Amino acid sequence: MGFIIKIAYKNLSRHKLRTFVSITAIAFSVMIVVFARGLINGMIDTLSVDHIQYNSGHIKIIDQEYLQQERLLPLNYPVDGFNGEGPRAMTADLKEIKDVEMVISRLKFGAMAGTENELITMCGWGVEPEQELIFTDIEDFLVEGRMAQTGRMEVVMGTALLKKLDRKVGEKITIVYNTAFNSLKGSTFEIVGRLESGLKMLNEVVFYLPLDQAQRLLEMDDQVTELLLVTSDKKIIHRVLPEVKKLLADKGATDRYLALGYKETSDLIPLMDIMKIIYNQIYIFLVLLSCIVVINTMIMIVKERTKEIGMMTAMGLESKEILQLFVIEGAIMGVLGSLLGAVSGSVLTSYLAEVGLDYTSAMSGMSADIIFDAIVYPVSSIGNTIFAFMLGMFIVTIACLIPARRAASLEPTEAMRA
Amino acid sequence: MALLEMQGITKIYNQGKIEVPALRGVDLTVEAGEFTTIFGPSGSGKTTLLNMIGCLDKPTAGRITFDGQELRELDKKALAMVRRYHVGFVFQSYNLIPVLTAYENVEFAIRLVNKYHKKEIRDRVLQILDAVGLAGLAGRKPNELSGGQKQRVAIARALVKEPKLILADEPSANLDSKTSEEVLQVMLKMNQELGTTFIFSTHDPRVMEYARRLIEIRDGLISKDQRRESEDVSD
Ligand SMILES: Nc1ncnc2c1ncn2[C@@H]1O[C@H](COP(=O)(O)OP(=O)(O)O)[C@@H](O)[C@H]1O
Ligand SMILES: [Mg+2]
Repeated sequence: MGFIIKIAYKNLSRHKLRTFVSITAIAFSVMIVVFARGLINGMIDTLSVDHIQYNSGHIKIIDQEYLQQERLLPLNYPVDGFNGEGPRAMTADLKEIKDVEMVISRLKFGAMAGTENELITMCGWGVEPEQELIFTDIEDFLVEGRMAQTGRMEVVMGTALLKKLDRKVGEKITIVYNTAFNSLKGSTFEIVGRLESGLKMLNEVVFYLPLDQAQRLLEMDDQVTELLLVTSDKKIIHRVLPEVKKLLADKGATDRYLALGYKETSDLIPLMDIMKIIYNQIYIFLVLLSCIVVINTMIMIVKERTKEIGMMTAMGLESKEILQLFVIEGAIMGVLGSLLGAVSGSVLTSYLAEVGLDYTSAMSGMSADIIFDAIVYPVSSIGNTIFAFMLGMFIVTIACLIPARRAASLEPTEAMRA
Repeated sequence: MALLEMQGITKIYNQGKIEVPALRGVDLTVEAGEFTTIFGPSGSGKTTLLNMIGCLDKPTAGRITFDGQELRELDKKALAMVRRYHVGFVFQSYNLIPVLTAYENVEFAIRLVNKYHKKEIRDRVLQILDAVGLAGLAGRKPNELSGGQKQRVAIARALVKEPKLILADEPSANLDSKTSEEVLQVMLKMNQELGTTFIFSTHDPRVMEYARRLIEIRDGLISKDQRRESEDVSD
């Protein structure tokens, strides 16, 4: 066996260019597998992170009716405590649950502001600024000024929205909104900060203001539209969610409120999870495609060495050993190619994980409702690299069985006459 | 007991619908230690006969006993083992493995039989290369050797495992007469020193001078079979 491996290895040097081409074909497909998986994992990761930060937390508590009309941002289905006593006690109780680290209050509402010749519709997010700075990435997005502060009539907006409104940080803006009692009002705020991110929604639609100001202006004292629970890790939601539901039941609030895990409030994340499975199957075909090059090479090799195979049979090698000889030769190409592909793929992925891939122009037509960062950061992981390496190695080796069996089944007398 | 006994060997090849009779009832007995030539014109059945003897192919009819073992009772694997341990082949086109050196080509054959220690292998390979006159050329690859040298590597490869029988199918066909003489000398020497049985085919009359036994084959039948002592080579 040792000697057979040695011969197989040396045989690869017979046509160096041909071997090189075969190895390159495998390397390319494995590299693409590493990269594509990294990209999809990166997309799912970013998608989840953004969705969790700007929409759902790990677990979102909202009124049942609110869920149906969430896009309209209604104010008449607020969260105001288990039994209308205000969210403060409710928040305190929720925090008592094991592994719940934060309870974030948001009050989201529709608003408008005018420029000289048009009205811009916007979405106001009344938040507790310190909580948001801890939980979300807006601190990184703040490219100018600072976050709005509790107790002040201040707002923070995205670059694109400021441009549409023709305003700058430091200037004032009058915003028009409907109160909970459906009367149209206008208030003037100071713009204290500017956000810039790959998220279209934060860029073009949302403005942040302090929660207390939002509650006062909208006439919604002690009310919010949603409570977001943050746990220590999104992987433990399945454990925390039942606790939350139990608390709601104990307080007799199940018929009013819903507690939803972050995947339940996203259309995209479950879709991406399915895509991931579909792609795993596509990878197999991708590698099989590169196998055609290898199989072709092997068929040529078997043809060229027919006489030699006859000689080996005459020397007393069994069919099994001839088979081994060729499978090993193919497997070495598979291993080398897969290794090369896995390494270069993870180098590429690691590099892009740093700089990111900017799909801003491709996504410009997408609705701002979808929280999807236009800059995707692929995720490079050892597991992914090993998966692609194994996939390449196994498929190539199995593919080599086809030509190798041909070699093994050659009749020695026929082979020798060739 | 004879090393090889063949009785009524018939071989018919099927070429599409046409049946080509290559051997038509050959009876042959070869004793251990013989140095035998099978000669005859091209197409007379020499290669076919050697393939039958070397367990590479099965006769259409007839019985072959090799070393007391009836071959038709053996399966594919067992036949491979007979070839591996007891038969060495030398072919006109050498069929060396081009990526291996002369040394490694010979080493491959001895490793297959798996009955020697590592160090012993090295000694044996070098010794046999020396015996065929390739002492200084062990590290060369086939494409760095002349035709005669390649053929000698092929002989060394067949000899190194000390088989009972060596079959050589027109071993000198690709060699000039001087080189073919050298190669035949080597085989003769091995026959004398180790007692290895040689059967080789040729249609070159000059080569036949070396044989102790001359078997002529025509149209798939043995037409002449004569032995002679090494002294009276003139005939
Ligand atoms: N595999 C084969 N298929 C068909 N015919 C064959 C085959 N091998 C040999 N023959 C025929 O059998 C006869 C004997 O061939 P062979 O043994 O090669 O003769 P030699 O070695 O004496 O030249 C020839 O007529 C040849 O054409
Ligand atoms: Mg012949």
